[in-house]
Amino acid sequence: MSDLVEQLVHGLTLGSLYAMVATGLALMFGVVRLINFAHGEFYMLGGYAFWYAYAELGLPYPVAGLVAVAAMAVFGLAYERGVIRAILTRTWHVQLIATLATSITLTNLAILVFGTQPKEVPTRLSAAILDVGGVRMAWQRLLVLVAAVAIFAGLEWFVAHAKLGKAMRAMSQNREACAVVGVDVQQVALATFGISAGLAGAAAALVSPLFNIFPDVGALLTLKAFAAVIVGGFGYVRGAIAAAFLIGIAESLAAGYVSYAYKDAIAFVVMVAVLLVRPQGLFGRRIGI
Amino acid sequence: MRAVRWGLGSSVLVAVPWIVAAALPGQQRYVLHVLIFTALYGALALSYDLVVGHVGSLSLAHPAFFGLGAYTAALLATEGRWPFAAALPAGIAVAAAVALAVGVPMFRLTEHSFAMGTLGFAIVTQVVATNWVDFTHGPLCVTGIPKPQMGALRIATLPAFYWMGLAALALVALLYRGLTTFRLGRAFHAVRDNETLAAAAAIDPLRYRMLAFVIGGAVAGGVGALYVSYVGVLCPGELTVGLSVNLLVMIFLGGVGSLRGVLVGAAAFTALPEILRMAPTWRMVIYGLLLLVIVIRVPDGLEGLIRRGSALGRRPSRAR
Repeated sequence: MSDLVEQLVHGLTLGSLYAMVATGLALMFGVVRLINFAHGEFYMLGGYAFWYAYAELGLPYPVAGLVAVAAMAVFGLAYERGVIRAILTRTWHVQLIATLATSITLTNLAILVFGTQPKEVPTRLSAAILDVGGVRMAWQRLLVLVAAVAIFAGLEWFVAHAKLGKAMRAMSQNREACAVVGVDVQQVALATFGISAGLAGAAAALVSPLFNIFPDVGALLTLKAFAAVIVGGFGYVRGAIAAAFLIGIAESLAAGYVSYAYKDAIAFVVMVAVLLVRPQGLFGRRIGI
Repeated sequence: MRAVRWGLGSSVLVAVPWIVAAALPGQQRYVLHVLIFTALYGALALSYDLVVGHVGSLSLAHPAFFGLGAYTAALLATEGRWPFAAALPAGIAVAAAVALAVGVPMFRLTEHSFAMGTLGFAIVTQVVATNWVDFTHGPLCVTGIPKPQMGALRIATLPAFYWMGLAALALVALLYRGLTTFRLGRAFHAVRDNETLAAAAAIDPLRYRMLAFVIGGAVAGGVGALYVSYVGVLCPGELTVGLSVNLLVMIFLGGVGSLRGVLVGAAAFTALPEILRMAPTWRMVIYGLLLLVIVIRVPDGLEGLIRRGSALGRRPSRAR
């Protein structure tokens, strides 16, 4: 029994990670109708930024985490300016290949700079074990879950009430109409990339103490997050978050009870199964962040 | 005139081993090796372009079909002691059958989702190839794959492999030509350019997409079988997403949807690492950046440059 609960806790950690990455993907898709294949690499870079700030510079954990978030937000802005703006009006083929090319470039640059040896960044919280009635887990897992819930609540408030959040929602519904009534669509797109990349940085800062950081985490992570986006109903953030937790728990249960080696195939199997039954996704609807 | 040019061109291609031996006596093994890879990559790129360039479905599953053909042929030849003449068709058949089975759920997805779904399939295939150690030998690789032997004909020397590669490339090029011209080719392009309109003209998009996907997968499986018979070893690392990136660079560098373009792209791509001469990681960084610049700046690739170049030399013809 406690074994099952432990697997579920692991699943929730994974789900939080996938949800934070998937949220970024869904936001980008909602606002500019573009899938960023390099999004998993944003997480990877966030992990290295966190490692550098925490292990190399010796900053305290919360500060190092914020450094990673800020570094990735800036990176997201630069990415929008440098790559996305050039392909925004092109066909989806071009967009997909350009972001895929970015992902390959970033992965291999990371191998050149940091090497293939995984970086371990244990923190005091990832070493401390919390024991609740026989169920043992690292405190860090609790932190991941609490922080993820706080981030999603914050995002929910932001999209519903903040001016920029409202503009993002409006753009996801009708870009032309936004431009007509004076929304600066380029600035909103820019901000969306900053926020999405920042979310990937936050995910990296939270999860890296538990999982190691290595250059090619990105490809599989993009795939799983994208699976969550599809399963959740394209571009619908709440659906993507729910689907991400579903995939995380399914993966962790499969790793515990079926086969550890094949756990990476689970997200894909869930995606195909859902799409065969409901092509529009579990919570599919037409529009809206 | 055209026939003479073709005859001359193909005799030069066939005579390459002797030409190389005469011109570069010290380096003929190396040059032939590069040429064999060029021919095989050219055939693989053509099969990929059938799907991406002609029906417009951005599949990332090609490494999986290549790998399925390669593993089928390799395991049948080593464990099953099958002759090459049986292992090659088996590789093609398995790749085609899996393409058919995977295509049914995949083509429910559109655009990005299709790309992601096929990428997922490719990753799952690689995960299985790595972890099903009892069957595929996993990271220990399949080794000692025999050289092809068909009756008295034994392909074991570099020139023989070169002719085998050339024959395969010619065959695939003919198939590519046959599929992408005539009525069938026009149906492919109709589906690619306007799916709704094609459907309205009684051209079932799914059927033509599926046809290109399965044939492309089958050819990739065949190339995989030829590849392992030449290299002699097969590791799961051959099936990575990196292969899709290489293929994308080839067809976009050369020119999507054009026979000449794809062949030029494959040749330039195989020659590039020989010119660059650097560590594989640096190479991938450069491929990534190259692909990025090409799709943004010159989406019609070298073929577009060639066309524009030859149009400059001619008198302006009537507007198209």
